[in-house]
Amino acid sequence: MTILEEPIKEVLALRNYIGDEWVESEGELVDVVNPTTCKVIAKVPISTRDEIDAAVEAAKKVFPEWRRTPPLARVRCLFRLKELMEEGFEELSRIQTMEHGKTIDESRGETRRGIENVEVATGIPSLMMGYNLEDIAVGIDEYMIRQPLGVFGIIGPFNFPFMVPLWFAPYAVATGNCIIVKPSSEDPISQVKIAELGEEAGFPPGVWNVVNGGRTVVSGMLDHPDIQGICFVGSTPVGRDVIYKRCGNTGKRVVAQTGAKNFLLVMPDANLERTIASCMTSFYGNTGQRCLSGANLIVVGENLNEREYNALYEKVVNAFVDAASKIRVGYGLDESVQMGPLRDKSKKLRVTGFIEKGIEEGAKLRLDGRNVKLVGDWPHTCFLSPSVFEDVTPNMTIGREEIFGPVASIMRARSLDEAIEIIHSNPYGNAASIFTSSGKWAREFQYRVQCGNIGINIGIVAPMAFFPFSGMKDSFFGTLHGQGREAIRFFTESKVIVQRWF
Amino acid sequence: MSKGGSRLSEQTTCSAIISFADKLEDNSSRFYEKLAEKSAENKETFLAFAKESRKNKVLVTRTYQETITDALEACFIQINLSNYLAETTIKEDMSYLDALEMAIELEERASSFYFDVAEQSKSLLATIPRAFRKVAEKRNNRKLKLKSLTKNLM
Repeated sequence: MTILEEPIKEVLALRNYIGDEWVESEGELVDVVNPTTCKVIAKVPISTRDEIDAAVEAAKKVFPEWRRTPPLARVRCLFRLKELMEEGFEELSRIQTMEHGKTIDESRGETRRGIENVEVATGIPSLMMGYNLEDIAVGIDEYMIRQPLGVFGIIGPFNFPFMVPLWFAPYAVATGNCIIVKPSSEDPISQVKIAELGEEAGFPPGVWNVVNGGRTVVSGMLDHPDIQGICFVGSTPVGRDVIYKRCGNTGKRVVAQTGAKNFLLVMPDANLERTIASCMTSFYGNTGQRCLSGANLIVVGENLNEREYNALYEKVVNAFVDAASKIRVGYGLDESVQMGPLRDKSKKLRVTGFIEKGIEEGAKLRLDGRNVKLVGDWPHTCFLSPSVFEDVTPNMTIGREEIFGPVASIMRARSLDEAIEIIHSNPYGNAASIFTSSGKWAREFQYRVQCGNIGINIGIVAPMAFFPFSGMKDSFFGTLHGQGREAIRFFTESKVIVQRWF
Repeated sequence: MSKGGSRLSEQTTCSAIISFADKLEDNSSRFYEKLAEKSAENKETFLAFAKESRKNKVLVTRTYQETITDALEACFIQINLSNYLAETTIKEDMSYLDALEMAIELEERASSFYFDVAEQSKSLLATIPRAFRKVAEKRNNRKLKLKSLTKNLM
């Protein structure tokens, strides 16, 4: 068992980055706790309304200068930021493991995905270009240009503390806007580190601000007349009932990427070995705390008789349980570990509540993750091992609601039509996958399923930085999505000029 | 399906494999610097091996960091690292010939390690098996060179 060295040696006192200053907040300080060791690794302020207002003021002040900065000069800051991120790759990754709990491989993957967004945004001089047409009438030309809007707020979730704000931030600043990032107060260290690198990369003061905190900061962003738009990733109730509605009330642009209940279909012709390996990634990666995590596995008996279907179902369930039972759980900095803890104790309690509910409603618990087996001697406070339920039905609580933890629910469907109906009966529409060797079934699935991200023989349908991170139904509120070209459209206004010279 | 289950049980994390490779190249680099002191005639060859090991480390680490995703399935490889451990400490009283034999054993294990990881990572992005195979071939070439040096001494 090799435990990698922890980069955080003493309790960090986190501050806000507003304008050109690292400022201490007037707000109360709360603990940031490593969920494995249960030790406090930082103190984060819950900032005040005045502090978010000060950040907006700083961003607003520098905006005219920043938007006039040539795109090529703007992206030079991003090139430097990328280089600094590459230099600090390992430290940034280990910090994520310490503040969130995920394994070091998962953290490094998150760091890479974050950097990829910075890389894509460095293409802004080309990507931001408009278009034109000569002679739309006699002697008249028309063209469209993209212009930045001003100040944007970015509200980050706890499950990807490094990457998710980078779905938005690089595109926002590259297109000439200024940003205020509010990291999750549960794991804010990564975003503070990114702001430090941003300062070193040479962004003018006020372009990239960080204000730590909670509801007061979010409300301050939502109510502020000088914030043009909000990017949010978090739960559906907050995204729909707070962020989306209040942005509508105040005329702000909004990207609200929210909750999920993702279905994975196993067809009779699936490559089962590869499917099960992919399912382990999907259901238990990041300890199930992903909006793209698999939640319900449907074994589909298309074209099979009763006996054949039962044999397939048993085979899939047994293989799934066998594989899940072998996942090594422990500290993410231990290189032998394959799954870390939940982010905190309350999340663990929430997940165990779902497990109890599943038993109560009649699902069969084949693997009970409450019997925690750990690699290493760590407090069990935030840990659960993988759980597997079978004979789950779509109307059971565990089959219907987002658990956000390492719990798999296995369901039955006798046909592809029935499986798609089950997917559509759920209010979420974030991701869905099919495992099959049939192009016909795969096409049918991608054509009909109402989810934003579709996987074909893929367990985690994570769009690359140059594609939008999509979502439908109760999983997304807004029009344009984060990442790639859609992010560029989100952060710019299309201005049309019709021109004639006498 | 039992094959799928057993395969998962033997998997090693990507992080552990890269740490192993890093350590292997660090130790190899130190080993050849020490071996260079034992032979004026082949000093340059051994120092070149040491330098090459430092480059191998950079290549493997960079390939990993540039291609890793947060997808768990890409992070497990079916391999038992203890099969590739090799002695790299040259004792003061060790003869040059014995040290060469030790080097051959080191290269044998190192090239097997890289070839095996390249094979196991075939389903991943092509950059990954390509990098491992490249290092495996370099280490295999060293083995051939070392064998010819040993032959010349006999």
